[in-house]
Amino acid sequence: MSQEELFSKMKRAIIEGDKEEAAALAKEAIDEQMDLNQVIEKGYIPGIQKVGELWEKGEYFLPELITSAECMKAAMEVLQPGLEKAHIAVKSLGKVVIGTVEGDIHDIGKNLVSSILSANGFAVIDLGADVKLEKFIDTAEQEKADLICLSALLTTTMLGQKKLIEMLKERNLYGRFKVMVGGAPVNQKWAAGIGADGYAENALTAVEAAKHLLKK
Amino acid sequence: MNSSIFELMKKRTVLLDGGMGTELMKRGFPQGACPELWNVENPEVVKKIHQSYYAAGSDVVLTNSFGGNKIKLSAHGLGKRCFELNEAAARIANEVKPAGRFLAGSMGPTGKFLKPQGEFTGQEFEDAYAEQAKGLAAGKVDFLLIETQYDLREALCALRGARTACDLPVFVTMTFNRTPRGFFTLMGNSVSQCLKELETNRVPVLGSNCTLNSEEMTDLVKIMRELTPLPIIAQANAGKPSLSTGGEVTYSQGLEDYVRFIPQMIKNGASLVGGCCGTNPDYIRRMAEIIKAI
Repeated sequence: MSQEELFSKMKRAIIEGDKEEAAALAKEAIDEQMDLNQVIEKGYIPGIQKVGELWEKGEYFLPELITSAECMKAAMEVLQPGLEKAHIAVKSLGKVVIGTVEGDIHDIGKNLVSSILSANGFAVIDLGADVKLEKFIDTAEQEKADLICLSALLTTTMLGQKKLIEMLKERNLYGRFKVMVGGAPVNQKWAAGIGADGYAENALTAVEAAKHLLKK
Repeated sequence: MNSSIFELMKKRTVLLDGGMGTELMKRGFPQGACPELWNVENPEVVKKIHQSYYAAGSDVVLTNSFGGNKIKLSAHGLGKRCFELNEAAARIANEVKPAGRFLAGSMGPTGKFLKPQGEFTGQEFEDAYAEQAKGLAAGKVDFLLIETQYDLREALCALRGARTACDLPVFVTMTFNRTPRGFFTLMGNSVSQCLKELETNRVPVLGSNCTLNSEEMTDLVKIMRELTPLPIIAQANAGKPSLSTGGEVTYSQGLEDYVRFIPQMIKNGASLVGGCCGTNPDYIRRMAEIIKAI
């Protein structure tokens, strides 16, 4: 099977919500010693992007989104060790603490950002969803992180991103860590208004933004 | 008492109330806190809001119990106080209910998902709603309104739970998103699927609330009217919320634009109208005038 064919099958597995197939194809990519960054970028991400389009069109709904996200997770679980191996020799581009803000359980996008950052050479500590604001800061301090990434999908939980920055200021930690925010209701204006260092619209631009923020 | 709401519906369009969350926040309610707790810790504030809606012309006011099912309350660590908070919600509203008006017990979603998307079983949902309904019934609401439901399966669990707990009439409103393919719930239930299922389950009054502004809701009511002979409830949002960096929430559909669509909404078949997120007593006052003029 050619690379193109494999990428196309990966995309289809995500769209169709076929978890076993998504994982099997990931294994095949590892066995074939393929460039795993390419595999993610050209195989799986187009799948999740298509799912996003189908959601916008009103053809896919929450159950389909959840199933596709699980396929993505299954594929990433297979690829992760291979990704890590490829980066052992590479110096970490920085340490990132990431999570979805407290009160918010949405994590599909956040999971993608987490995986892609990790795949691109960042050391990522993913705290999950519904994470207390203090936990972001405590973990960042403990782990001596460089960047805190906050995801929020609701207008109500977006406020947590602003609160976290206020908390950093209260604890005299503002500036110690870079803060990047994301999520559907978030935009550059919001990010700038609350004093965040960066904003990214999706996982791929998040990598570029993170690299830019942490350039030494 | 039970039959009177049905009698009123036969006579004219019934006016529900407007947003509660918005009104609570205006009066200092902190975002992220549990609104139902204010029924016991700040009852005077809650009563004032109910009074303002009755004064604006609401025939029916909804209890401050939207998040009062046991599962939602548990997220605030208040699951054990489910009965107490719901009974209080109903009792304090009744203290300000004028003669001839009605009180509905609001029952909103759990915020969690049923298997396989989430961890919960249908029975657990049913029990969570039953506990809430017991409290609302004990506090003497006139009927129950299961609202803002985005999962038909959950709505049916809520219905079963409510009916286990009491004999009061139970109305159901779903919340729909407008997609290029039509109106669907978050979980992908179509309008016809929802109405059919609710009718089959002997829900006497049904409809939609939240998500949509009054223009979109007017379109939806037309579709619902074509699909069901039952009385239709329609409570639209004042548009979509947006957050300023100062933390203020504003809604995109202003008063004039909102009420502009109400006559058509009624013409399209809504028998009970009101307002959802972002609306306030001013909206209801204008809607009362419109209903009177019809």
